[in-house]
Amino acid sequence: MTTALKYIPLLLSWGGIVCALGRGFPLGSGTLAAICVAAFLAGTLMPLLLGVTVAITVIKGVVATGCVAFWLVAMAALYAATGTGASRERWSRSLHSRSAGIGSALLAGLLAGAAAACQIVPLGGAVQPMPLAVAALAGIAVALLAARGERLIPGEFTLAGGALLALPLSFILLITSSSPRLDLFSPLVMKVMKFIHDFVHQFFESMLIPDHPFFRPNVWEFIGFFFGSGVGLWGGLIIWFTPLAAVAAAIRLERLPSVAHIRQGAQRRRLLAGHIRQRRQRLAAPLVTALVLAAAVYQSRFPAVEYWDPAPITVTATPAGDLLIPETGEVDLTDGRLHKFLYRQGGREVRFMVLANPAGGYTVTLDACAICKPQGYGQGEGALLCYYCNTLIPLDTVGRPGGCNPVPVPARSVTEGVRIDAATLLNLWSKTVQATAGSTGEGR
Amino acid sequence: MTTAIIETRGLTRSYGEICALKPVDLIVGEGEWLSVMGHSGSGKSTLLNLLGGLDRPDGGTIRVAGVDLLSLSEDGLARFRRERVGIIFQQHHLIPYLTAVENVMMAQYFHSIPDEVEARGALERVGLGHRLLNRPGELSGGEQQRVCIARAIINSPGILLADEPTGNLDHASTRVVMELLAELRAEERFTIIMVTHNREVASWGERTIHMDDGILVREEFRGR
Repeated sequence: MTTALKYIPLLLSWGGIVCALGRGFPLGSGTLAAICVAAFLAGTLMPLLLGVTVAITVIKGVVATGCVAFWLVAMAALYAATGTGASRERWSRSLHSRSAGIGSALLAGLLAGAAAACQIVPLGGAVQPMPLAVAALAGIAVALLAARGERLIPGEFTLAGGALLALPLSFILLITSSSPRLDLFSPLVMKVMKFIHDFVHQFFESMLIPDHPFFRPNVWEFIGFFFGSGVGLWGGLIIWFTPLAAVAAAIRLERLPSVAHIRQGAQRRRLLAGHIRQRRQRLAAPLVTALVLAAAVYQSRFPAVEYWDPAPITVTATPAGDLLIPETGEVDLTDGRLHKFLYRQGGREVRFMVLANPAGGYTVTLDACAICKPQGYGQGEGALLCYYCNTLIPLDTVGRPGGCNPVPVPARSVTEGVRIDAATLLNLWSKTVQATAGSTGEGR
Repeated sequence: MTTAIIETRGLTRSYGEICALKPVDLIVGEGEWLSVMGHSGSGKSTLLNLLGGLDRPDGGTIRVAGVDLLSLSEDGLARFRRERVGIIFQQHHLIPYLTAVENVMMAQYFHSIPDEVEARGALERVGLGHRLLNRPGELSGGEQQRVCIARAIINSPGILLADEPTGNLDHASTRVVMELLAELRAEERFTIIMVTHNREVASWGERTIHMDDGILVREEFRGR
């Protein structure tokens, strides 16, 4: 039941897509419903035919391409708004064509169906046909209802120009943001953060800013902002919302038709007022899109997915300076789940994790990586999730060094369980984690 | 007779026990100037309010410019008032803290969008080009009534309803206002329905109907 409830936002978003397509394109409710149903059904089969990993890559690739296309469309809309009436007409006609509507409905249906299926089919696990069939049926029902229910939306709500692409795309982004595996906003935030860090670093290197202890504090007062955690988020938000702002600006800047030829003042004003009212009504679509995008950002930052995140068990070192984690005791290390431990020594605290690996041994890592602040990991479907940057780490790569992977800790699998050298553990934490924490109290 | 722009059949209106309007049948031609006379309480203003869509009748039908007013919703009636009818009241009802031009622009705002140039033009047309930025308190009664006329005609309503437009004015101002109405009507072909007590003012109309106790008792035709 709880699992089914989780799909309600996805289905509502799918309904929103169908309504937006119905309102924006001259398709007719029957044609729209038929295309959407067929595309959604085909989409749900995609992870089965291609495999979940490939399907996820395809979805993310297509949606990312859609986002780039939206940027181009938004800029073109802005250009067209300031252009002549004729170019605006041509632009509007090509966007609102029946063939564009069929193409959009097919693509949106495929993406929505595939995204729904990807959230049901586990990574590397066995496919359960029943939940998949229920999801497909629910998607079909929503498409049929939305295609018919579109007419209940007030006639004043129109989709024109860039808003025609913006609204369906925002609903698709809302769908993808509901799953960390499909989410595009968190990777975007990380990429922006990395880009800014690299850029600032390279800039200072190339400008030969003296790295002298006397200058360093002053320089950091200026550039410290670019290394804060908010910079990636704000950069991501700017990339996310700028084309939408451009679409809204394009609508607002649209020139009103000339009424100079109308002699009677009242008639002239009435006509102008009508055009102004229509232009204002067209702004409703970007506004709704902004709300949907904001919901997608929220969902990406605060995912509703529940992760296995056990409370760390405090362990103590043996007189020989080893930490021995028994295979079965307070926890069962062989159960395939992530287990967290806490080691304290001389006022220092180290969090580490033990995970059974397919080779029959144990993988021991810090509950932190060498890049992010040490906010730790949770275990989801076939992957660990870094709580700081929302990056998913496939379980089969846990134990490998680098990137956002948890820092591996040398350990020996013994008959009783797993044995770790306490000093090595402390050194690893000090070297790789406290540098990223900024302060010792940054960890969870 | 020209095409009928206003047509009422069996129009009645009561306020509690008081029957203000007994069944009234009236036809007003397009571009006609109709004066309505009668004693106080004879139903003149009630009739005017019903024709202007300011009130709804208890019975009968009203068709104005082909529109059945009884079939209109409140929003529809408001739209009808702001697009089809201009009203001039005895008490002016100007907004005291707005200038003359702003008072006219207020009518434009509720109709569509304000246009200051056009509003100034309307005031110049009624001879108030030098009083554009004066507030109503700084204008004489006659000047205030001329602002009302500018406000009533700014949206080219087609029908002008005037309820005792000269009731508060002296003889000279009355003449100025009436000449102005006649001039505007000649230019724009408004239909004017004017309620008045004053026989001389009524004589500006082409036809005068007399009302008594809610019924139409007599009508006179005058050429002017």
